[in-house]
Amino acid sequence: MKKLLFLFVLLTGLLVPSHAQIVLKEPLSNRQTYYKIDARLDIHNRIVKGKMEMYWVNKSSDIIPDIQLHMYLNAFRSNKSTMYKEEMGSPGMTKSDFGWITINSITDRSGTDLSKSMNFISPDDGNPEDMTVLKVNLPDPARPGDTVFLNVSFESKLPSKIRRTGYYEDFYFVAQWFPKFGVYEPAGMRFAVKGGWNCHQFHSNSEFYSNHSVYDVKITLPDEYVVGTGGLLLNETESSDGTKTLTYRAEDIVDFAWTAWPGYAVYTDQWKHVKITLLLPKERAEQVERQFTAVKHALEYLTENVGPYPWPHLTFVDPPGKGGGSGGMEYTTLFTSLSAYRIPEYLHLPEMVTVHEFGHAYFMGILASNEFEEPWLDEGINSYWEQRIMDYYYGENSGMMDHPLLKVSDKSIGRLSYVMSANKNTVSNAEFSWNYAHDTYGMMSYMKSATWLYTLMGIVGEETMNEIFIEYYREWAFKHPSGKDFVAVVNRVVTRIHGNKFGPDMNWFFDQTLYGTGLCDYKVSAFFNSGINSYEGMVTGGDSLSVLNPDIKKDTLYKSVAQFERIGEVKLPVDILIHFTNGDQVSETWDGIGRFKDFEYTGARKIDWVKIDPENKITMDVNFINNSMTSKPDRKPVRLLTDKLVSFMQLFIQFISL
Amino acid sequence: MDILSPIKSGFKRSLKCWKGVFINWILTFFIVIMIAFPLRGAINSILGSSMITDKLSKGIIFDVIPDLGSNFKTLISMITSGFFIVLLSGFLLNVFITGGLFSNLKRKEGRFSYSVFFNGSIYKFWSFLVIMLIMSLIILISGFIVIGIPIIIASGSGSIDGARLRAFMRFGSLFLLLLPIFLLITDYARAWLVMNEKGGCFKAIGFGFSHTFRTFLSSYPVMVILLISQSLFGWIILKILPGMTPASSGGIFLFFLLSQFLFFTRILLKVWRYGSVTALLEMKMKKEVDIEGFQS
Repeated sequence: MKKLLFLFVLLTGLLVPSHAQIVLKEPLSNRQTYYKIDARLDIHNRIVKGKMEMYWVNKSSDIIPDIQLHMYLNAFRSNKSTMYKEEMGSPGMTKSDFGWITINSITDRSGTDLSKSMNFISPDDGNPEDMTVLKVNLPDPARPGDTVFLNVSFESKLPSKIRRTGYYEDFYFVAQWFPKFGVYEPAGMRFAVKGGWNCHQFHSNSEFYSNHSVYDVKITLPDEYVVGTGGLLLNETESSDGTKTLTYRAEDIVDFAWTAWPGYAVYTDQWKHVKITLLLPKERAEQVERQFTAVKHALEYLTENVGPYPWPHLTFVDPPGKGGGSGGMEYTTLFTSLSAYRIPEYLHLPEMVTVHEFGHAYFMGILASNEFEEPWLDEGINSYWEQRIMDYYYGENSGMMDHPLLKVSDKSIGRLSYVMSANKNTVSNAEFSWNYAHDTYGMMSYMKSATWLYTLMGIVGEETMNEIFIEYYREWAFKHPSGKDFVAVVNRVVTRIHGNKFGPDMNWFFDQTLYGTGLCDYKVSAFFNSGINSYEGMVTGGDSLSVLNPDIKKDTLYKSVAQFERIGEVKLPVDILIHFTNGDQVSETWDGIGRFKDFEYTGARKIDWVKIDPENKITMDVNFINNSMTSKPDRKPVRLLTDKLVSFMQLFIQFISL
Repeated sequence: MDILSPIKSGFKRSLKCWKGVFINWILTFFIVIMIAFPLRGAINSILGSSMITDKLSKGIIFDVIPDLGSNFKTLISMITSGFFIVLLSGFLLNVFITGGLFSNLKRKEGRFSYSVFFNGSIYKFWSFLVIMLIMSLIILISGFIVIGIPIIIASGSGSIDGARLRAFMRFGSLFLLLLPIFLLITDYARAWLVMNEKGGCFKAIGFGFSHTFRTFLSSYPVMVILLISQSLFGWIILKILPGMTPASSGGIFLFFLLSQFLFFTRILLKVWRYGSVTALLEMKMKKEVDIEGFQS
């Protein structure tokens, strides 16, 4: 009884912090994990020393003999780690360049030392040199409903080459810095056939997968440092030794990271219920307005078309040049943008990065998919929304760049990356992130996915697409959806809105685009207009022809034929527009399944031009040039272009010849 | 010394030398179209009967790039290799023509003479080539020292945001102040060479250096004024031409005429600079002869 009472008291004391609502009114997730960290930054040795209380609740019906922890910083421990082996690099030349994480002590709730039962494992590649996944055998297996409590003392040495995390001079970005639970997946969850830990090693091309957690974090560091985190600042105390201690709390986020640098200027703004904090170098003050505008655009657009942003706080960081390696990364309520000093207004690069990284709060933070195994589900979907937001707010043709000489839409950049890649059909999107062959990870998981999502929108329409994401959010927020869950939502919403217009489901689409490697290319093969010979007659014997209707002129009627072909393997329904010389236009649809299709017309009109997919809805089509054909091609734009080139070259020659 | 006299004199000389300017323009034009016309043919061939040129007419070129596929790479390699050949031949052509221009800008050449022009071009070619190569090299090295090294140092420190850009702006401005000196040396060397039939190119460069610094206070402002006019005109060209998007055939033809007229004027401005420096040199030499005559 005493033991039970002790356990009750202990558990109550432990569980209160995670269940207490400080940031949010209601818990958003099932809060399977909790971290309470007391960290101290040693700026001389570049080490974060931490004491941590953490727990994981076994919410499955399995009896689990061990727990697995991510020890990401060990990827910087040697050039033999899986991450550096994959990219054939090295953490650096000197000891201070390397990064590592070490556990000084680890005990369970009863104080039992677990350090003897720890061993590093390499579930992905069996690399014995990799130390990024730690397995801890439990003295007593965790039964359903049990809470595994750990008391850990750790040290994290930050690497000097900042790859998401690290330091440079007095700049710190501290991410993936503490031992962190993997995700236990019982049978039936996502793709799990049997229960087990989903705890992958740190790879060169991969991001993360974690449970939604509550974080109570104390950070002690020299008081001249300006700090930004993904948590809500609860308390700040200064010490006589020149340090300060900041206390943060974050609820229902999947990761906790922080940055510290004396050179930050801090700005705040408000969007509805969200207090937005921006940290950036003092010299970039002129970009504050741009950055806030961009993040507010993203908040507004995603709230309207996907779902609400639930947290009352958001911090984002535009790191200085020396900390550029930490730029463009997301930690739900904290993210990093990327820009440069005096970046021109017409170039929307900082805005694009801000919109993109903020978007991860939705597609990695709220809809916490497994980026190790299905990177497209976060990066691809997020790139698609980033492109929509950028082109919506900054111009359909100028989302990325708006210069009088050159306008570039964000969507075009994405499509360019996919279409121009020589390896666009090497692998499908259904690969683990580190398995994308021939360096196709970025192109495939970001850009191909965004391109086929645009194509899906072209087929089902923008409103249906928004409805898909609203339902996806509603059903899977603060859970761990998989690709098949997303497809199921698409199937349900599309059939609900369109009935059987596209068939009983949309699997035919995903089989080709998400799970297939084929290319999509429809082309106008040819069109011609033949004058119908109006002479009607028959050979009556020998060479004599009996003419029945000799009065009609030969060229009054035409048989016009427009011919189309499917060159690629991907079969999608396409619209066709045929324009005649008398101004008539005919719209046709082709199911796109056959290898070719002819449309034939007879009348006193000739085909002038034809277009397949006239609105360029099928963005997956790898060649838009062959999507149209005209009898009178307009050469003037090319003439103008070459005339400009001539002038430019003439000027340049004069310039270099003194 | 009167700053305006050499500028005025140079302007008159350049106008008298319009035939040389015309030769420069037409030969440069032919060199450039050697790459531009095949390129136009290649683009037309790639686009075929497609209507994608609609996008080009709106000035949105970027959307078309993905659709060019592997043709895009072919076009880029065609442009880059062609551009290199055009630059090289254009440079050599300008070396050739500059000899003729300087020969005709001398005071004693009252009117433009084809024989003087081509004689000057042929006989001064190698000397002018060496002068231009050496001076180009000096300008490049100076540029590296004045701009490049501070940028490298700024990059190394890495502590201040935008340090590289700031270094570039600061030291780039300094380099712009040095540029008129290098051009004065080059122009004086070339002007001196056409006045001294037996002078060698190295001697000419030596003269350019010594004369530039000897007459610095009178020469430098003249060169600065001329360079500002040239740069302003170049800036206007770059501001006007790229943004123009005529849609009709007639409009494109007018654009072509305008662009070539502007380019012709740009050459004229350069020849104005040559004429002004020649005038400066002649004025200085005449003054020295007068003083010597007076002393003797």
